[in-house]
Amino acid sequence: MTELQVDLALGLLDHQLVDCNGRRCGNVDDLELDLGRDQPRVEAILVGPPVWRNRGLLGRLLASLSSARTVRVPWTEVEKVDSAVHLRKPASEYRLGRGDDRARRWVEWIPGS
Amino acid sequence: VSKVLQLALGILAAIGGFVDIGDLVFNIEAGATFGYQLLWVVVVGVVGIIVYSEMCGRVATVAKRPVFDAVRERMGFGVGLGVLVASQVVNLMTLAAEVGGAALVLQLLAGISYRALIVVAVVGLGVAIWVLPFEWIERLFGYMGLCLLVFAVGAIKLHPDWGAVGHGFVPHADTGNFMLYAYFAVGLLGAAMTPYEVYFYSSGAVEEGWTQKDLGLNRTNSMVGYVLGGTLSFALMITAGALYLPRGIDPQFIGTVALGADVPLGTIGLILAMVGILFAVGGAAIDTCLSGAYNVSQYFGWEWGKHRRPSEAPRFALSWMALLVLGLLIIVTGVDPVMLTEYSVIVSVVALPLTYLPILLVANDKAYMGRYANGRLANAFGLFYLAIIMVVALTAIPLMILTNGGKG
Repeated sequence: MTELQVDLALGLLDHQLVDCNGRRCGNVDDLELDLGRDQPRVEAILVGPPVWRNRGLLGRLLASLSSARTVRVPWTEVEKVDSAVHLRKPASEYRLGRGDDRARRWVEWIPGS
Repeated sequence: VSKVLQLALGILAAIGGFVDIGDLVFNIEAGATFGYQLLWVVVVGVVGIIVYSEMCGRVATVAKRPVFDAVRERMGFGVGLGVLVASQVVNLMTLAAEVGGAALVLQLLAGISYRALIVVAVVGLGVAIWVLPFEWIERLFGYMGLCLLVFAVGAIKLHPDWGAVGHGFVPHADTGNFMLYAYFAVGLLGAAMTPYEVYFYSSGAVEEGWTQKDLGLNRTNSMVGYVLGGTLSFALMITAGALYLPRGIDPQFIGTVALGADVPLGTIGLILAMVGILFAVGGAAIDTCLSGAYNVSQYFGWEWGKHRRPSEAPRFALSWMALLVLGLLIIVTGVDPVMLTEYSVIVSVVALPLTYLPILLVANDKAYMGRYANGRLANAFGLFYLAIIMVVALTAIPLMILTNGGKG
């Protein structure tokens, strides 16, 4: 997605990320901005516990408990923004949704999973 | 014809799913203490839950935002996380109380040890959540919960003083113990407007894949269901007012509640009442359990929902399992389910404004909601109830302390 004007705080931050298969794969936890022009531009979406550090006391606490890494999704990978932020490729290509991938083995042994 | 049938079936499930252990405990205790005087509070509570359920269902359908998406987006990560923690604590307390209620009823039916039956109840609920599709869970527990209608028949057969019942719908306080009256009023409001109901309703709209076309049908469905479900609350309070108040019985046991149908209707009444209570609290246990998993998954952006296979949404599945196990651990300590119910309702009242405010904000955002944004009427009701909830939230815990948890 190239040109789109959004209210960053209300229209983008904390929105659901959805991959090209309709899989929910994280939230927009933070944004990387290019402030060098007349209007700030979003360069990338940042996802993962380390960026919660900047987001309040409880966020800092949770971030320090998690060993997961930050995932950076370049803005060019965004297909469209509506109630969710839709990405062009499957979550695994961005290393998103890895928490669910890891947790899968805990449930897949149960019949009917 | 199939549309009419679908509507009727949906309404029946909503009626049967309306009552949970909070409603049972507070309506019976309020009736046993103040007769029919507090019936008007139930009306206020039922209208309140209709106003916010409708708003949540609309926001989930049009803006595609279930409650905790909206909470995080509007209140920010930090405050949102606080709301998440608070609502998970409340959910867990409610879940434990519902499981305890189910085990108590099983004990009355089966006569074996309460603790063993807690485990039976939890395993049964876990299997039901794992095996049954979302719609079936709602229907099965909703229809079986309809057995509670036996209390409506019972209330009529007890020949209450209908003049006094009618007077109960007019706000008045005919008592020297105003604190206790206010405590029960707060509890009845909290029981009718428990937060998990809106979490579940809003995520349910996504689970069932509502579109803007379904909005009208589902709205009618839930409103009629809640209004008729509210009559079950009236029936419970009237039964207690006609039966326990004159005899000075303090209904501290779930068994006493079931007796409310035994006296006017005999053994059949008693059995229907127990089956109704079992499925009502069992269904509510599932609702609270899934609500907890919905909330945490939505907050962190995980894949969620019963419309996904557990292997597709593993953290969601593990969340509801973990909550069920935690609920088991709380109730198996031997804590009294009735007491736990009172605490959970009062604490949930404190969490209510934090749940309802973000919904009201998103429902007003024309950018998301377009022509489905709140109109004047929805906003007038929304703000009115937000104000009530704030007052109730501020007074709930002081009232609980001052009245010694309703013991006077």
